[in-house]
Amino acid sequence: MHDLQTVLVLSRWQFAATALYHFLFVPLTLGMTFLLAAMETVYVTTGRQIYKDMARFWGKLFAINFALGVATGLTMEFQFGTNWSQYSRFVGDVFGAPLAIEGLMAFFLESTFVGLMFFGWDRMSRGKHLLITYMVALGSNLSALWILIANSFMQSPHGATFDPATMRLELTSFTDLIFSHDAQAKFVHTSIAGYVTAAMFVAGISGWYMLRNRHMELAKRSFRMAVLFGVFASIGVISLGDALGFIDGNAQPAKLAAMEAMWKTRPPPVGFNVIAFPSQKQQRNLFDIQIPRLLTPLVTRTMDTVIPGVDEVEKQAMVRMKDGIPAVLALKTLSADPTNLAALAQFRAHQQDMGYALLLERYAPDLTAVTPADYQRAARAVIPNVPVIFWSFRVMVLAGFVMLFYLGIATFCSMNNKVQERRWLLKIAPWLIPLPYIACEAGWLVAEMGRQPWTVYGVLPTWMSVSTQSVGYMVFSLAGFVLIYSAFIAVEAYLMFKFVRQGPDEGATAAPAH
Amino acid sequence: MELYAILKVTWWLLLGVLLIGLAVMVGMDMGIGAALRYFGRTDGERRAVLNMIGPHWDGNQVWFILGGGAVFAAWPTIYATAFSGLYVVMLLLLWSMIIRPLGFEYRSKLPSPSWRNLWDWGLFVSGLLPMVIFGAAMGNMLLGVPFHFDWKLDSWYTGSFISLFNPFAILCGLMSLSLALYQGSAMVMGRGEGAVRERARGLGVWGGLGALVLFTVGGFWVARLSGYVVTAGDDPAGPAMPLHKTVEAVQGAWLHNFGAHPVLWLVPALTYVSILLGVWALRRGWSHFAWWLGALGWVGTIGTVGAAMFPFMMPSSSDPSQSLTVWDASSSQMTLLWMLGWTIVFVPIVLVYTSWAFWVMRGKVTAAHVEADDHAY
Amino acid sequence: MIVLRMLLYLVISLVTLFLVILLGQRGAWYFAWVLGTVMIVLIAAAGGALLDAQEEAKQSGR
Repeated sequence: MHDLQTVLVLSRWQFAATALYHFLFVPLTLGMTFLLAAMETVYVTTGRQIYKDMARFWGKLFAINFALGVATGLTMEFQFGTNWSQYSRFVGDVFGAPLAIEGLMAFFLESTFVGLMFFGWDRMSRGKHLLITYMVALGSNLSALWILIANSFMQSPHGATFDPATMRLELTSFTDLIFSHDAQAKFVHTSIAGYVTAAMFVAGISGWYMLRNRHMELAKRSFRMAVLFGVFASIGVISLGDALGFIDGNAQPAKLAAMEAMWKTRPPPVGFNVIAFPSQKQQRNLFDIQIPRLLTPLVTRTMDTVIPGVDEVEKQAMVRMKDGIPAVLALKTLSADPTNLAALAQFRAHQQDMGYALLLERYAPDLTAVTPADYQRAARAVIPNVPVIFWSFRVMVLAGFVMLFYLGIATFCSMNNKVQERRWLLKIAPWLIPLPYIACEAGWLVAEMGRQPWTVYGVLPTWMSVSTQSVGYMVFSLAGFVLIYSAFIAVEAYLMFKFVRQGPDEGATAAPAH
Repeated sequence: MELYAILKVTWWLLLGVLLIGLAVMVGMDMGIGAALRYFGRTDGERRAVLNMIGPHWDGNQVWFILGGGAVFAAWPTIYATAFSGLYVVMLLLLWSMIIRPLGFEYRSKLPSPSWRNLWDWGLFVSGLLPMVIFGAAMGNMLLGVPFHFDWKLDSWYTGSFISLFNPFAILCGLMSLSLALYQGSAMVMGRGEGAVRERARGLGVWGGLGALVLFTVGGFWVARLSGYVVTAGDDPAGPAMPLHKTVEAVQGAWLHNFGAHPVLWLVPALTYVSILLGVWALRRGWSHFAWWLGALGWVGTIGTVGAAMFPFMMPSSSDPSQSLTVWDASSSQMTLLWMLGWTIVFVPIVLVYTSWAFWVMRGKVTAAHVEADDHAY
Repeated sequence: MIVLRMLLYLVISLVTLFLVILLGQRGAWYFAWVLGTVMIVLIAAAGGALLDAQEEAKQSGR
C-alpha cells in the first residue's frame, strides 16, 4: 500500500498544481490593491467623481479575482501538514513562525479591511475609506512578505540549526531569518511583479475599451495610471530579478548551473547560452547559441570567478554525501538513546553534511554499505530538471523585457495624449495580459523546481519530507483538486469576461443609480 | 516552573483562545451558511442574511488560517501528525470551506435563480460540513487516534478514515454544529427584521437547547471513556521529543484533572449557565447579549475539553506512550518566545480593528438595503 | 484632546523612525520596497491628475 515513489511523485504534482493555481490570483491582488489606492488617492485629493468610479469598477474585477485567491490560499496553509508532514515537523519550529505571523499581522489586516473597502463607501469619510484601501494593499503585500520569508528559508536556510535532541531544525536567530538576503530580494521581486501584473491587466482592458470608444474617460485615465505604475515596477522587477539571480547563484550552485545549462565547469569568463536544447540524460546541450564571455560578469560581477558547472556540483555533492553518513548513523543511535555522548560527538563532527547523506539514503537505504553506483545515482539526483528550468527562466526574462518595452512606449504615448492615435498600441494591449501571468508561473518554476531535490536546500531532501500516505488517498486528493479547481476557474473566467464586457456602467443586477 | 514550561502552558492556553476565536467567529458564519435556506425563504431575504456578515466573513475566516499557522509555529508536531493522519477528513474540510468565498462573492453576480440556488446549496455544505468536522476532530482527540512514530519521527497513521466518524465523534460534531447554529442565529436576529428575525429566534433556541443536551450526553460518555495518564518521563521543561515517556490508557482518566482540582468544574458549569441564559435572552429578543453568551458557551465547551485532557493534546490509541502532550509537541523556547511577542503586540490591534469594522457596519440589513447597493452580495 | 492626539502622532513618528533606521540598516531591500512603492503609487496618481490638467488646458485653449 505505501509506495513512497508514487506518493512522492503525486504529492509533488499536487503541491505544484495547487501552488501554481494559487499564484494565478495572488500577483493581481498584490498590485491591484496599490493601483486602486492610487486611483482613490486622486479621487480624495481632487474630488473628481470619475476616479471613484474607476476605483469601484476595477475593485469589482479585483473582488472576483480575490475570492479565488482566498479560497486557494486556504488549502495551501494546510497542505504542508497533510502532504508534507515530515517536512512540517522537521522545519515547523522555523518555518511555521512566519506563516503564523502572516495570519496575525497581514491577513487579518487585509481581510478585515477588504470588507470595509467594498461595503463601507457610504459609511465613512473619504479620507478614512482611502486609509482602508491602503491598509488592504499593505496587508496583502505584508502577507506576501511573510510567505516569502518562509519560502526563502527553503531556498537558503538562515537562522536555524539541527538539534538531535528533538530531531528537527530549531530557530537560532529570528532576525537572521527575516533579513536573509534571499528573503529580501525575493519579496521585492515578487511583490513588484504583482504591480506589473496589475498594470498589464488594467492597461489591457482599458486599451480594449478605448479601441471600441467605450467608457473613454475612465479608460483613458486608467490606462495612463496603469502604464505609469507598470513601467517603474517593471524596471524594479528586472533589477531585483538580477539581484536574486546573484544571491541564488551563490546559495544554490545547482540551480544556477541548471538555469544556464552549464554542464561542464570552464575557465572564466564563460559564455551565456541564449538558446540551448539541454539533454539531462547525456548531460550536454544538443544545440546552443552562445554569447561569449557574458555569463561570468552577469552572475558573479567579476571576470575571473569560476562558476561551477553540473560536473563540479555533482563532485562536491559526492564528497558531502560521504562525509554526512556518520552523522545519520549517529542520529539513529541518538533517537533511541539521547544520552549517548559518543554518538553526539560523532554527529556534531559531521552535522553540516547530514542532508547530503539523507539524500543518498534514498538510493542506498543501508548507509553502512554504499556502492560507487549508489553515489553516482545520488549525485545525478542533486541536479534539478535542466531543460525545464533553463527554458522557464528564459521565458520569464523575455516576458519581463517585452512588458518593459511595451509599458515604456505606452507611457510615452499616454503622457503626450497620443494613445488613441497609436491604435496598434491599444490593439495588442489585451493580448499582452497573459504575459505577466506566464512570467510569474515561470518564475515559480525556476525558484521551486530549481530547488529540487531539496525542500530545505542542502538540509532536507524532498523524498524525506513527504507524508506517509497511501497511493489511493493521493489519487483521490489530486483528482479532487483538479476537478474542483477546474470548475472554479471556469466560473471565475466566465464572470471576469462577463463583467469586463459589461463595463463600468451597469452593475451585476440592474441596480438603481448609486 | 522553568521558562520553557511556562511558555508551553501559555501557548496551550493561546491555542485555546484561537480555537475559541475560530469557533465563535467562523462558527457564526458557518451557522448562517448552513441555515441560510431556512432563514431566508425569498432571494431578497437570503441576500439580506448574506450581507449581514458580508463585510466580515473574510476577516472571520482568518481565525481559521491563523489557527493553522499558529499550530504550525507553536505545535509543529501536532500540525504534522494530525493533519496528515486525518488526511481525507482534512481534505473534505478544506474543499467544503473553499466553496464559501466563491459562494459569497459570486452568488449574486448573476440573476439566474438556478445559479443562485446552486450557490445556496454550496453555502449550506460549506457551513454544515466544516462544523461537524471541527467537532468530530475534537471528539477523536478525546478518544485518541491510532498513530505512531518511527526513529526519524516520521508519523504513521494506521486507522481508516471511516473510523474517524465513530458515534462519539459524530456526537461532538453535532454539538459543535448546534452551537454554530445558535451563534449564527443570534447574529441574524440582531441584524434582521420581520420574518427573518423570528425564524432566527426559533432556530437559535433549538440550537442552544440541542447543544446542551449533546454536551450532557457527551459528558457522561467521556466519564466512561478510556483516557490517558503519563506514568513516567515527559519533563515539562525538557526538549520537545515524544519518544521517551510511558503513558497508560485508564478508564475515566479524563475526569482525573477535575478530581484533583474541583475548581475546574466551573468550566463546564460556564457552558450550562451561559447557554441557558442565552436561550432566555434570545426569547426575550436580546440578541446582542445572547451572542456574547454564546461566545461564553464556546469558552466553556472548549475549556472543558482542554481541562479534561491536559497535558495531552493528541493521544495515540495504538501506541499511548507516543502520545503528543503539551510538554513534548511544542516548538523550541526561542520560537515560542518570539511568537508570544508578536501575539502580544498584534492580537490587541486585531481585536481593535475588528470591533471597529463591526461597529462601522452596524445596523439592520434588509432586502431593500441590499437592492440599493450594487456592491452587495 | 489635542495634546493627546499630538502625543499619539509623536509616538507613531518615533516608532516609524525607529523602524526605518532598523530597516535601512539590516534590510536595505525592504527599505527600497517601501520607498519604491510609495514612489510608484504617487507617480501613478500624479499621472492621472496630470491628465485632467492636460484636458483642461486643451479645452481652455480651444
